[in-house]
Amino acid sequence: MSVARRSAAAPPGISIAAVYMLAVGLAAVVTGGFIAAFGANPLVALGTILRASLGSTTGFAQTLNKTTPLLLGSLAVALAMRGGFFNIGVDGQIYAGAISATGTAFLLGTIGLPGPPAVAAVLAAGVAGGIVFGGLPALLRARWGVNEIFVTVMLNFVALFLTEYLTTGPWNDPMAGEAISRPIPAAANLPMLMPQGGAHTGILLALACTLAGGWTMSRTWWGYRIRAAGDNPVAAHLGGVNLAAIALGTLTASGALAGLAGAIEVAGVHDRLILGLSPGYGLLAILIAVLSRGTAAGLMGTSFAFAALLVGSDSLQRSIALPASAVYVFQAIVVLCVLLGGTSRLGRRG
Amino acid sequence: MDLLFDPRIWQLTVMTAAPLLLAALGELLGERAGVLNVAIEGIMAFGASVGFLVAFAAHSDLGGILAAGLVGALMAVMLGYAAIRLQVSQLTAGLALFVLGVGLASLLYRLAIGVRLALPRVPTLSVWSIPGLSGLPVLGQPVFAQNALVYLAFLLVAAWWMLLQRTPLGLRIRAVGENPRAADAAGINVFAIRWGCTIVAGCLMGIAGAYYPLVLTGAYSDGMIGGRGWIALMLVIFGRWLPPLTLAGAVLFAYVEVLQFKVALFLKVLPPQFLLMAPYLLAILVLVGVYRGARAPAALMRPYDREERG
Repeated sequence: MSVARRSAAAPPGISIAAVYMLAVGLAAVVTGGFIAAFGANPLVALGTILRASLGSTTGFAQTLNKTTPLLLGSLAVALAMRGGFFNIGVDGQIYAGAISATGTAFLLGTIGLPGPPAVAAVLAAGVAGGIVFGGLPALLRARWGVNEIFVTVMLNFVALFLTEYLTTGPWNDPMAGEAISRPIPAAANLPMLMPQGGAHTGILLALACTLAGGWTMSRTWWGYRIRAAGDNPVAAHLGGVNLAAIALGTLTASGALAGLAGAIEVAGVHDRLILGLSPGYGLLAILIAVLSRGTAAGLMGTSFAFAALLVGSDSLQRSIALPASAVYVFQAIVVLCVLLGGTSRLGRRG
Repeated sequence: MDLLFDPRIWQLTVMTAAPLLLAALGELLGERAGVLNVAIEGIMAFGASVGFLVAFAAHSDLGGILAAGLVGALMAVMLGYAAIRLQVSQLTAGLALFVLGVGLASLLYRLAIGVRLALPRVPTLSVWSIPGLSGLPVLGQPVFAQNALVYLAFLLVAAWWMLLQRTPLGLRIRAVGENPRAADAAGINVFAIRWGCTIVAGCLMGIAGAYYPLVLTGAYSDGMIGGRGWIALMLVIFGRWLPPLTLAGAVLFAYVEVLQFKVALFLKVLPPQFLLMAPYLLAILVLVGVYRGARAPAALMRPYDREERG
């Protein structure tokens, strides 16, 4: 761990906003090139993206729905990052939360619990699932110093295979097809925010979590210690911060947030557990956290922007067969440009 | 017992271990010089895609392997520019490159192949049995009846060991990874060593990725690397940054991977997904032991700045 903070500033005359704009511009040019290679006019495609994601009630509702897992996921990554840890296992934790939420919903269905308590129980179960999958790497890190990156990555695959087993095996819905579970009872479904467009109330939860997270980080005793540990573990340790407790706390909380996202996907979007529940939200979440530099407002704005891009690219997928991976390429280029622009404070650490 | 002594299983094990080993040896070299590359998974995915596409279009497996090595090196140049030149966080830059590699792999494949009913395939790399040696009783089939890339991986284990422990260049690489300031003072070009090691590492990772379509499956699919890049990254720590121990780790993981398919054949009551989890669960178990007493190169992940006061 480097103790000295690098102070080399951005190239003179280039403000942060300009670097971000250049980065987005360059990424757009490259992605536009790919779109042209797929035989479509990039400008028409841009129009399609904007229309599909923001130009209609349904599109806007879709964008809000996709913002939810991206915001909770990137908040999870940013929280861990602030304490100096990398959670690459958001996808696995989303699946763990979704599995736990689905199982609980089935259980509640047999008991016949009514609406609000059922929804609360399902969401809590999602959090619990995320805590299990986020808690294991946290424990290994705190107890034996095992790098959390490896454990979180490996657990992604464990969660994925577990989901495959459940959706093709015991929970499979033979009427719906492969790798899809039976629907959860209607009582466990999240209430709707925009019934006509299909937006659920999960976005409100995600926003509340983000605001609470930002407040905790900047205004509380815990947040101060987490930031101290993330900025300079040696100094924090000498100052009396228990680094093992920070690892345990931040990584477990990170898993809990991702687990909540998984439960919301089940109870709000799919009404079932499905194998394709997360089309790589975890990967996008990492880069969103890097881009937003861990600020609450940045997380909200960036998550919304990439949610719109995801919804828009879905429609391009249908019209010109552009694969969803184009969004990854776009996002990775933005992040690389911002890093190379030398202004990302988060990028300078480590 | 059959599972332990069946030469066919060991032949498959060695075959499966080779890409892990190639990628891990690349990572090992880079880390010894102080540059962490966490983009392995993405570079391997990109190498798999490009390697397959070139082999498919040019009807040449060699062409595919070379192309994969080249794009791996290109990704490493991007990492090097960020990590060595601009001194940004190697973790953040590596993660961004990881996502870029995964995305580009899928995008390029779709672009070149489109949506087809029949899966495009290439002939897999042929086995070159070494005359005489392949007839040896125990080691013959597993070690000496393999494809060229397996031999390359084995040769590199020996070559890396010799290079790092017995040559002046190896001493310089280790010096740069342990104490770049002292190395610089001794007249070693820290930046040249780091650039060279990073690029060779990326090249090997790209080739390791191409191994999957060109040797094991004959076809490309998204996600075919399946976390093996991360396992390779772990193998370097498992191997304590030493090539022979890394070889042992690669064989261990490959053995579990091969065994899991064999076990699935006669253990039909257990759902296959639980067996497929085995290598990943093993990785977590192994990690707990691996971190005890592991000591990374002292300057790993630390950018070197000549003007910084030490």
